Amino acid sequence: MRAWATFRRNHGIPCTNPVTAVAHCSAMWNSLAFRLWRAAYLRAVSSAFATVPLYRETWALHGRTDPVLVPGKTGSNGGALPADGVHRRLVDTAPLAGGSTEPDPARGLAGLLTRATHRPSHRLVVIVDSDVTRPPTGLPRGSRGCVLHPDAATAAGDEPVIREVVDTLRRGERVLTVGEGKDLDALTAALPAQLPPPDRVPHHRIDRPGTGPFGLLHDPLLGYLGVLRECGRLHVDHWHVYVRETAGGLAFTVLDRTSPRLVDVLIGGGVPGEVHACPKHGSPVIET
Amino acid sequence: MTAASARTAVAAARICDPRVDPAPVGWSEFIGTARPHAVWDPDLLRIEGWLARNPPLLVTVHDADGIVAALSALVCRPTRTPRYAPRRPRRGPMWVEVSQPWLSGLPGIVWRPEIQGHRLHAAVRAAERALARHLGPGLVGVFYRGVGPELLPELDGHGRIHRRTDSSAVLDNTFADVDEWLASLSKSRRAGLRRQHRRAESDRTLLIRGGPGRTDIDAAAVADLLNDHRARFAAQAGDTRSPVAAPYVEAFVRRSDVHTLTYHDTDGRLLALNILLDHRDVVVKQHWAALPREDEGRQGLYFDAYVRAVRWCIAHRRPRISSGRGKLDVKTSMGFAPQDVHGVIAPRPVMGR
Repeated sequence: MRAWATFRRNHGIPCTNPVTAVAHCSAMWNSLAFRLWRAAYLRAVSSAFATVPLYRETWALHGRTDPVLVPGKTGSNGGALPADGVHRRLVDTAPLAGGSTEPDPARGLAGLLTRATHRPSHRLVVIVDSDVTRPPTGLPRGSRGCVLHPDAATAAGDEPVIREVVDTLRRGERVLTVGEGKDLDALTAALPAQLPPPDRVPHHRIDRPGTGPFGLLHDPLLGYLGVLRECGRLHVDHWHVYVRETAGGLAFTVLDRTSPRLVDVLIGGGVPGEVHACPKHGSPVIET
Repeated sequence: MTAASARTAVAAARICDPRVDPAPVGWSEFIGTARPHAVWDPDLLRIEGWLARNPPLLVTVHDADGIVAALSALVCRPTRTPRYAPRRPRRGPMWVEVSQPWLSGLPGIVWRPEIQGHRLHAAVRAAERALARHLGPGLVGVFYRGVGPELLPELDGHGRIHRRTDSSAVLDNTFADVDEWLASLSKSRRAGLRRQHRRAESDRTLLIRGGPGRTDIDAAAVADLLNDHRARFAAQAGDTRSPVAAPYVEAFVRRSDVHTLTYHDTDGRLLALNILLDHRDVVVKQHWAALPREDEGRQGLYFDAYVRAVRWCIAHRRPRISSGRGKLDVKTSMGFAPQDVHGVIAPRPVMGR
């Protein structure tokens, strides 16, 4: 067996043993994928330092680490900023060239839905959250998104969104509700009992992690940051989000949105945690 | 060369990037004799440099006794990309503006009082040669802004271009009290100033606070007001100033030689502000910014600020007040005299000569 493994490695033959394959997957994450992930983060840091007033002021005058931008200045918490501080200074998160200063709490939902629900799409996606005021964008073709305030979730029949949910369920099409668990319970209870219940994916907060089996890591400022997968681990949306361990807690960066630029934000007041590769999937997971 | 001339000869110019370099050797002795305005503080230059598109370089010229002259050199480029300046200078065409962007109508050069004539001439040329070496072949020339008549002969020369620009307004303080100053003005202006001052004093919805080293100021509100005020006026071609940043204001107004006058309404909203830079020779009435009337700004505060500034300078026996360029007709009606200001361009081939 050992001879076969040596032969396979020497001749570049892929591994077929599932356990060893997962280990190699992790190794790959640690090399190429991690480097690409890290490179995307470094680009975001460089761009933020060169063009965004909030980060220029913070990192130039106080410093940061990983990377250090001004020799001798390391700042506090590695240069990460608390979310409430960033929220107060949203006007300074737009780059000098201009751009939006409004955060999008529904950002990133579309890309995580398939992994969160194990279904390719739903006809209607309803976010039940008081922080989300605009419907999600980028949903698959044929899906529509809407938002519902939790207080309106109990007003059965009067609320247009609930009427739409009822109509969609009556047509036998699938509805997905996303939000805090208690709000989703309230919405389900407000629907007629004869209808099948909508699918649901609860929000997890970094400082109040849920148990699963489904769940999305959400923050009112940064949007959707990760998904709870069948392995029971909280997977980072690594295509769009970078996570970094700092002295102040886990710091999140939205990679693909330039305005408002959100880099190294300590969400939930700064929650200590670790980032490592999932032994099953190989992609980055966080543990708090 | 005699021993005496060797001792007084200008030795070398050094370039300091205030963003990352410590203050030049001998700086504290230099400010003791040259007494530059507060904006020359290397700590302020550091903040300004990091938050500017054209960060200033501090060029110092030394002789055996220490620093003889210092220049604030802004590295400017023809393309204005919406980015802060990089840490290391990029290649490509650039020019240097020797100016102090926070001091309207004053030059970007300070020097020891005893350095005059050919020694100042040699010091400036040494600084030009150092800039050319530091910035490389992309440097096309040096532009000196805010040059007064006393400095012009040392900067001008063969192959150099100089033009008169907008005059700055200067008031020689020869008054015993503010009434004497008011008495020197026209009847209508005198009555107007008294009326505006009385109105501001008696307005119970107006909170007027002023003084040096203010720690009670919301720097972000001040920076916003200054930038909004500046944005209301058409940008002049060649204006290389960067927006005012809150961290700079925060550090600036805490200094003991910076007097800040603020006008707030009863809701705590900043309506107007004026910043005065104290100096033993020339007090600079630096920033004025106010909300427009359509945004519930108050009328007449501009004149009230002048009354308070002149009153303070008379009380503290400051010999001159400079209120910079612009609105010259209004300033002359308040007793300020126009002073010639020149711009001098030294193209690359004649730099250092």
